[in-house]
Amino acid sequence: CREAAAAPGTPAWPRPPSLVLLIPKGASWPEPPWNYPAVISPQDPTLLIGSSLVATCTVSPDFHLKAEDLYWTLNGRRLPAASYAALGPTTLSVALARLNGSKQQSGDNLVCHSRDGGILAGSCLYVGLPPEKPVNITCWSKNMKDLTCKWAPGTEGETFLHTNYTLKYKLRWYGRDNTCQEYHTAGPYSCHIPKDLALFTPYEIWVEASNRLGVAVSDVVMLDILDVVTTDPPPDVHVSRVGDLEDQLSVRWSSPPALKDFLFQAKYQIQYRVEDSSEWKVVDDVGNQTSCRLAGLRPGTVYFVQVRCNPFGIYGSKKAGIWSDWSNPTAASTPRSERAAGGCDPKGGEQNTTLRRELKQFFGWVKKHAYGCSNLGIKLYDQWRVWLQKSHKTRNQVGKEPFTLLSPAWVGMGRGYGVNPPPGLRGVTWTRRLRGALLVSAGASRR
Amino acid sequence: MELRAGDSWGIFTFLCAALCNLPALPALNCTEELGPGQSIQKTYDLTRYLEHQLRTLAGTYLNYLGPPFNEPDFNPPRLAHAERVPSATVDLDLWRGLTDNARLAANYRAYSRVLCSLRALDGQGTAELRHRLGHFCSSLQGLVLSIAGVMSSLGYPLPAGPPVSPGGASIPPNGGAPNDFLKKMDDFWLLKELQTWLWRSAKDFNRLKKKVPPAVVTLRMEARGF
Repeated sequence: CREAAAAPGTPAWPRPPSLVLLIPKGASWPEPPWNYPAVISPQDPTLLIGSSLVATCTVSPDFHLKAEDLYWTLNGRRLPAASYAALGPTTLSVALARLNGSKQQSGDNLVCHSRDGGILAGSCLYVGLPPEKPVNITCWSKNMKDLTCKWAPGTEGETFLHTNYTLKYKLRWYGRDNTCQEYHTAGPYSCHIPKDLALFTPYEIWVEASNRLGVAVSDVVMLDILDVVTTDPPPDVHVSRVGDLEDQLSVRWSSPPALKDFLFQAKYQIQYRVEDSSEWKVVDDVGNQTSCRLAGLRPGTVYFVQVRCNPFGIYGSKKAGIWSDWSNPTAASTPRSERAAGGCDPKGGEQNTTLRRELKQFFGWVKKHAYGCSNLGIKLYDQWRVWLQKSHKTRNQVGKEPFTLLSPAWVGMGRGYGVNPPPGLRGVTWTRRLRGALLVSAGASRR
Repeated sequence: MELRAGDSWGIFTFLCAALCNLPALPALNCTEELGPGQSIQKTYDLTRYLEHQLRTLAGTYLNYLGPPFNEPDFNPPRLAHAERVPSATVDLDLWRGLTDNARLAANYRAYSRVLCSLRALDGQGTAELRHRLGHFCSSLQGLVLSIAGVMSSLGYPLPAGPPVSPGGASIPPNGGAPNDFLKKMDDFWLLKELQTWLWRSAKDFNRLKKKVPPAVVTLRMEARGF
């Protein structure tokens, strides 16, 4: 006995599975010479857009079907009988004029049916255009170790046919072509060459696009690896105050380690912005120093600073290199003098100043009385402010409750440790959570 | 762990109670392996997950094949050449009459064959399709390994050798289909069979789960008076 076809819980796509073996009308197909009920010609042709086609469907003699028992569909839609012609007792043709590009890249489905709708045979039509030359080839090398190139296809997107791209390269003065193997590393039209690259000698690079209708080759780009070098962002970016100067901050960083012996002519760029703004100011004339002083800043304000590096002139290259990514933002604040009170929201400003002063007192105390607390300081507080800025969830809360400590790092540090507040700070009016978390983190580092 | 009725139950119960209440039991070197019950549950969960994934994959794939393949009531003929996956549609009594071992082995073989066939599709289709196929194949690989785990934990041997088609020949890259349209039909049936296999496997594993005791804890006892 057999279960009902639509048993409860059976999946709905494309229709519930039936446990009855599906045997269509016409029974089983006989073995050679006729493996299949019908044959279509041409089988899986490739055509240019706008061309015309006459296809024929010839039914196997074992099927006892005549030409007038057949009909055609293209992509599921029935073709008009006016375009049919019987070429023999068991052969029906269809004429297709001015074909459009294929509806899907797997080919248009031209199907020959028997009168009851059963499928007798099918042919995939590939209608499209030959590819266009790929353009805009750009390449870069990370620390002279590899080469990544990207390009754009000639037409807006892929043509109606699947297009294969192959990046090739060769040394200018030697004959052998090489083929790039690792595709899609930096987007859909990109390739990565991981090794065996020569310096001080030019390469020729080009991209070949091919589809069923032909091949197109891009223009050849010539480059020397040393002219397209990029590197990592500068590490160890530190931003600190310049004594008591209210309008200045000092930025220091290290040169990127991978190229540190070669960066005599490297250039750096700094960009900075005020905490609440999204507008970055760029400092361009940093040269190849690894420190810089920012001036003309607003007092008592938190700034976010980023640095990047361009390995210009590496190994004597005359060309500009490629800028690295920006370093992660580092935060610091300019001092606020006691006198300057006008202009800003007095309440908020005052609270900020009081809080910062007390925080600094606290951190000073912690450093004296606790071990391993070197990281705990006003800088850590500023870094936390940076994190707060980034976190969308807490953005609204910054205004209302600035000291909601949702950072997992803070929560993690505080968990499980209970420390009583020292006598000197008991009278301070902080929110309970701030006190708890800061003090337990002090306790944690005391361990 | 096989327990003979009567003699060991008392000790076993005591040990379990002791294990739950003491943080450390120095007299006992206890290793808890993933018992067959948990393996089966995991396999069942994975099967249901794949069923869900298949819906999305099939949608994308059938749209790539184009109409009429992606039409809801599409039902092309099945042609008699080397099947890429054993048919899931067999007589239910026959299926239920198999031993657990035979059923598990059939599942293992079927999904291994499907995995081979799907992997052969790699490189075709849009980027989105390739991405979905890759993800699905990873999950399917997990299912094959999971079934192997269940078989091993129940003490059954794994089916040997690489998967072969019923005719004895290995599956050629285009699945034996001589033209692109027939290959599309094969792909359609592969997905449909896979859907049925997953649906039925879920039932199989659910039934198997009920046969096997829930938590089989293996205790290896060092000599210390027990």
